[in-house]
Amino acid sequence: MQVTSAEPLARDIDKRSRADARHDLIFHRLLKFCALLVLASLIGAALSTLWGGRAVLFGQGWHFLTNDAWNPVADDYGALAPIFGTLVTSLIAVVLAVPVSFGIALFLTEIAPTWMRGPVSAAIELLAGIPSIIYGMWGLFVFVPFMANIEPGLNDTLGQLPLVGKLFQGPPLGLGLLTAGIVLAVMILPFITSVMREVFLTVPTRLKESSYALGSTTWEVLWDIVLPYTRSAVIGGIILGLGRALGETMAVTFVLGNSYNITASLLMPGTSISSSIANEFNEAVGIHRSALIALGFLLFVVTFIVLLIARLLLRQLAKREGN
Amino acid sequence: MNDLADAAAAPVAGVEGRATKIKVRDVNFYYNRFHAIKGISMDVPEKQVTAIIGPSGCGKSTLLRMFNRIYAIYPKLEATGEIVLDGENILDPGYSMNRLRSKVGMVFQKPVPFPMTIFENVAYGIRHHEKLSKADMAIRVEQALRSAALWDEVKDKLKQNALGLSGGQQQRLCIARAIALKPEVLLLDEPTSALDPIATSRIEQLVAELKSEYTIVIVTHNMQQAARCSDLTAFMYLGELIESDQTEKIFTKPGKKQTEDYITGRFG
Amino acid sequence: MSAASIYMRRRLTNVLAMILSACATALGLLFLVWILLVTARNGLSAFHVSLFTKITAYADQGGLSNAIVGSLIMDLMALMICAPIGVLAGVYLAEYASRTRLGTTIRFLNDILLSAPSIVMGLFVYVIIVLPMSHLTNGGISFSGFAGSVALALIGLPVIVRTTDEMLHLVPGTLREAALSLGVPKWKLTVQILIRAASSGILTGVLLALARLAGETAPLLFTAFGNNFMTVHPLDEMASLPIAIYQYTNDPSPALHSIAWAGALLITIFVLTLSLITRFLFSRKKVTYE
Repeated sequence: MQVTSAEPLARDIDKRSRADARHDLIFHRLLKFCALLVLASLIGAALSTLWGGRAVLFGQGWHFLTNDAWNPVADDYGALAPIFGTLVTSLIAVVLAVPVSFGIALFLTEIAPTWMRGPVSAAIELLAGIPSIIYGMWGLFVFVPFMANIEPGLNDTLGQLPLVGKLFQGPPLGLGLLTAGIVLAVMILPFITSVMREVFLTVPTRLKESSYALGSTTWEVLWDIVLPYTRSAVIGGIILGLGRALGETMAVTFVLGNSYNITASLLMPGTSISSSIANEFNEAVGIHRSALIALGFLLFVVTFIVLLIARLLLRQLAKREGN
Repeated sequence: MNDLADAAAAPVAGVEGRATKIKVRDVNFYYNRFHAIKGISMDVPEKQVTAIIGPSGCGKSTLLRMFNRIYAIYPKLEATGEIVLDGENILDPGYSMNRLRSKVGMVFQKPVPFPMTIFENVAYGIRHHEKLSKADMAIRVEQALRSAALWDEVKDKLKQNALGLSGGQQQRLCIARAIALKPEVLLLDEPTSALDPIATSRIEQLVAELKSEYTIVIVTHNMQQAARCSDLTAFMYLGELIESDQTEKIFTKPGKKQTEDYITGRFG
Repeated sequence: MSAASIYMRRRLTNVLAMILSACATALGLLFLVWILLVTARNGLSAFHVSLFTKITAYADQGGLSNAIVGSLIMDLMALMICAPIGVLAGVYLAEYASRTRLGTTIRFLNDILLSAPSIVMGLFVYVIIVLPMSHLTNGGISFSGFAGSVALALIGLPVIVRTTDEMLHLVPGTLREAALSLGVPKWKLTVQILIRAASSGILTGVLLALARLAGETAPLLFTAFGNNFMTVHPLDEMASLPIAIYQYTNDPSPALHSIAWAGALLITIFVLTLSLITRFLFSRKKVTYE
């Protein structure tokens, strides 16, 4: 009927369809390229530090990990002291931050009156927004003197205990592993808190209500119902905090004391991977610089593995939520 | 002429004296491995309203969504059979999407205006298919809004964001957006389920007006609505077409027991 | 034990837990207030017009103007690099690869990148940009504002990717169907409708990224390095607020410490204002459709 006039129109439409398909393909490739850049930045960070640190990583091999010397004069570098400092400060941070985060998350999800929850959780999240250099300054100028005042007290009390006493004996400098650990704890507190708060909120209300109906107290509901339900995600959140602490630079650099010590005392100055790099990189040349980049590679690999575990644990809960 | 002959020979009932616009032949649809539409054949008459009814989950929306292949945007969905529109099978991958979608317009369950002005909402689709001058575009938009019985309410605020309209107005805007492309077929997927009774009756009134120009297929879970505004009604149950016939007949003396049970509210 | 005493003990445990959790919250807030008050008091007492008019070359007689300008330039360049890439990558994850293996993998690794150590990003850029540039120009150009921006962009990128991805998931599927039913191709639907529908959410992500990268120090140490003079040339060594603060804090001179505090106050105000704005934007409307 309208065949004659419809035909060229149909051809036009087909032409446009082909153009659309072509543009769609170009757009798709552009997007995919950008997404692959995300992947590339992760792989690139690993490969470039591996390359930059090759002289030390391949030159010394495992010896680099077990060597506790760090001597720029003799060009003898070992990663043991920085690794020790990184692990000790991060562990102190996690041990201190977890119970506090747990308490805040409990307060925000179960105890606080509704009007209080918004502002308080916003304030705690603000803590995560403060740049790490501010933590570093506050740590050095305010918190170190504060610790120097209470450390003699620690010597006299905790320092006298059997077994753990050694941890708290040492010069009351204020600087050191314990101080750095506490500053880190404050830094990672908001991250762990927000994960815990979020996963606590995913617990179905009917589950909690049925427990309340049996006469459980708030604490019992949390301990017996909420925590088992969210266990993997809570652990994921804690490990996420650990990952943050391992990689943090500015908050610890000022307060660690920058000394290549491996001691039992938490009051002694130490160093960490990131603070060694930050402190020495711009003055380092040759093998010294290579050793610092190699440290960066180690840090990246360790945090990658830790964060990987954290995300896998967090994903378990998300998956259950999805089902 | 061909169409007329086909309509006469159709295995399923049509409306006498009307050409068949869409011929559905042995159509199947699978979600992953779930068989959602089972061997359906039916005819959709030109410039009439065809209603598809049935309990929720019966596949009525799925069937409707095959008429413009909108399902093709999701992976793992598969359709077999033929849906013949004006003599060509639209399920054929070679059938151009642009052609199909400019011939078949669709309005969805919830009104979904684009995040732009009222004018732009209507002009957006046209721009993709035709190059019009500013003046011509203004005329086209006005025509579409008038046909959708919305013009008088929005003519003074064409530059305002469409999200500021009421639900009923938004749905009529969506209808205007669909008919602005001058389609031949209009698919309505439960267009009033999110609207209040007054807005619903305006849409039904609009459907009655639009059928003089468009072939309309409407999916509805509301039997009264089907009875009020359709010429032909198809009843589906569990992915199968139980029967399709003139609306009056379906609602007064249905041919199948299942249809009667559903109509009289014994299940569904 | 009698039923009454069991009941008493349970209630006591509960009350104790409540008190401890309230104390934990108070402790968290105490640290926030402590840090903010110290920064505000020390920063305000050192606040002076010369901060904005004099350069760091005058040391304790000087200001931070070159550092402020350098920070603004590098933060802006970083955003110009990571915002388009991040938004497009986020769109890819949400619209094209939501459930594919590649998409899931990238989304997962992006989450890891989100908390990867920022100092390593600095080393990364040092190895791939600073070293080769220095090599190519025979040491003429090594550290540069450009390299600093790239390092900062790497910090902002995962934030933008993640927010864009999440925000697009909040856009209802019917909007996609409605546009596609008009025959609009997918790229037009994405650019003209979906990104617009999620625009306030995507903007939130960009601002979050800015707040995040503006406070970063570690990635700048060996990329932009620092500069005691004013420069706007992206291939020069460039000063920045965090680096200036870092150097002044490491200096024994108390006069420099107070300038560092003033700089710290500036950054804190900038970053916290940004996070408050994004919070407001985010809670008001995640996407236009809700």
